[in-house]
Amino acid sequence: MTQPALQMSDVRKVYSMADNEVVALDHATLTVGADEIIALVGPSGSGKTTLCSIAGGILSATEGSIAVGGEEITDYGDKELTTFRQNKVGFVFQSVNLVPFLNARENLLVVDELGRREGKPARDRADRLLDELGLADRAKNLPSQLSGGQKQRVAIGRALMNEPELVLFDEPTSALDTELGQQVMELIRSEMKSRGTAAIVVTHDERITSYCDRTVHITDGVLNAD
Amino acid sequence: MFLAFREMSRAKVRFGLLTVALGMLVFLILFQTSLQNGLLTSFVGAIRNQTAPVLVYSVDGQRVIQGSIITPDLEQLVEEADGVGEVGRIGQGTFSATNADGELTDVTVLGYEVQDLGAPAELVEGRYPESAGEAIGSSNDADAGFGLGETIVVQPGGYEITIVGLADDVQLNAGATLFVTYGDYVDAVKSVNPDAGDPLPNVLGVAPADGVGPEEVVTSVNGQSTDLDALTRSDAADETPGVAQVRQSFQVIFLLYGLVIPCVTGLFFLIITFQKSGALTLLRAIGAPAKRLVSSLLLQAVIIVAAGYAIGLALYTPLSQRRLGGIQLRFETTAVVVWAVLLLVLGIGSSLISARRVLKIDPIEATTGGANR
Repeated sequence: MTQPALQMSDVRKVYSMADNEVVALDHATLTVGADEIIALVGPSGSGKTTLCSIAGGILSATEGSIAVGGEEITDYGDKELTTFRQNKVGFVFQSVNLVPFLNARENLLVVDELGRREGKPARDRADRLLDELGLADRAKNLPSQLSGGQKQRVAIGRALMNEPELVLFDEPTSALDTELGQQVMELIRSEMKSRGTAAIVVTHDERITSYCDRTVHITDGVLNAD
Repeated sequence: MFLAFREMSRAKVRFGLLTVALGMLVFLILFQTSLQNGLLTSFVGAIRNQTAPVLVYSVDGQRVIQGSIITPDLEQLVEEADGVGEVGRIGQGTFSATNADGELTDVTVLGYEVQDLGAPAELVEGRYPESAGEAIGSSNDADAGFGLGETIVVQPGGYEITIVGLADDVQLNAGATLFVTYGDYVDAVKSVNPDAGDPLPNVLGVAPADGVGPEEVVTSVNGQSTDLDALTRSDAADETPGVAQVRQSFQVIFLLYGLVIPCVTGLFFLIITFQKSGALTLLRAIGAPAKRLVSSLLLQAVIIVAAGYAIGLALYTPLSQRRLGGIQLRFETTAVVVWAVLLLVLGIGSSLISARRVLKIDPIEATTGGANR
């Protein structure tokens, strides 16, 4: 039986601020299937990014358990989480997504450099990804020489370089116009589905949800499935 | 390595300018080291590179050979001091003389009574004087009319001295210097001033008795009279008036360089660490271990310092073989090695401030945009 890409059970994240405690995620339970694309929708400050960060091993939960692709990461320390992020998840962030002094191809290859160091297979995979993303002729361009949509496509390629179990997209279309945003979402869906890779797309734009298999709402740290 | 080299290759001008700036600083450090050593050698090389292990001055002379006068009483006290083996007179005079090119110039003449107590320790050419009117010159002055086989005429008496041997680094007071036998020195003085009578020796060269060290002789001689000032050879050179001041001045300059270089390197890496904090946060978020990013930073620091050093060394090497006025410069191998190690340590040390900042990066900032703030 295929393992779920993500299994979060009763996860809480509490921030201590002076004498107060802020609950960013309140007993969240979420399962994402192996090739499922989930839209995580909620207003600003609702806990979307916190949930994604915990799922991606950037942040540790205060309570609960998290497993990604069957790997239990709940009790991982910083070092183990770093290795986990290298190998098991892909990220597309809202703001900074590319290393400015690396060209498009190198922005993909850096994932291999930091992790497995496969060499030629990684270079072939990077070329294949750039080709699929329509960026073969832009492989040697620096981020400053790419348009917003092209940068986002390179970021998607980078997120797929380590053949992850789960890709986390944090507002992937927020910096793009409507048409470009739709193109990027179509691309995300086709890339995820063709690989059988699961994804969580964080958004506050309900239009994005049509590209996902399921929508999960979050308000004040509490998840509500549609 | 991947990140370090890619970043440097994409920012050639930025890294290149720092490298050249470091290269210029390294050149200045090495050149000034040669200048300092050349200057000091031209001042006191004749003292440092002569044969007497101990030199005895009169206190009134304030450690200047020509200002010191050893009276017969003092000479006897030195001869009677415990641990003293052999004693030889040394006299110094500064004369006007016509060199081989016919030019009138100043020349310092040092007369030694015993070859092992005041003559140059080693010759690079020719031989030691064997008869009257012969001298050893400094190889540094050979091109200035004081070469081997050339004759110098002391004025106004017309006393002739022929150079029969050359030694390296035996100048005194940065001028042309000749070593003659004590008898020749006396004759030279008398030729200039026939009514002066025999001059008293200026200092005494002392060899310790068997089994006695120079330091013991110094203590013993100084215990004989408060008018005596005995010094070992190296102390006599180092404590000649002006030497400590010259050395101190250069040390202040070197200290400033030692502060400027880590400041320049440290600030450079701190600025670029701030500038690329977004990229570093992203890399941490996608699984780059902090140590890997720090290694990349330190590798860049090592490359920059090493390349800067190579540039500085390339500029310094040809200049270090030259003569600057009366000062002979030399390639200072020890200084080159010591400064290389020191600058590498300072360069890496200064970039540790940036490394500390890299270690503090929290990957969560990639999700909040905090890295861009």
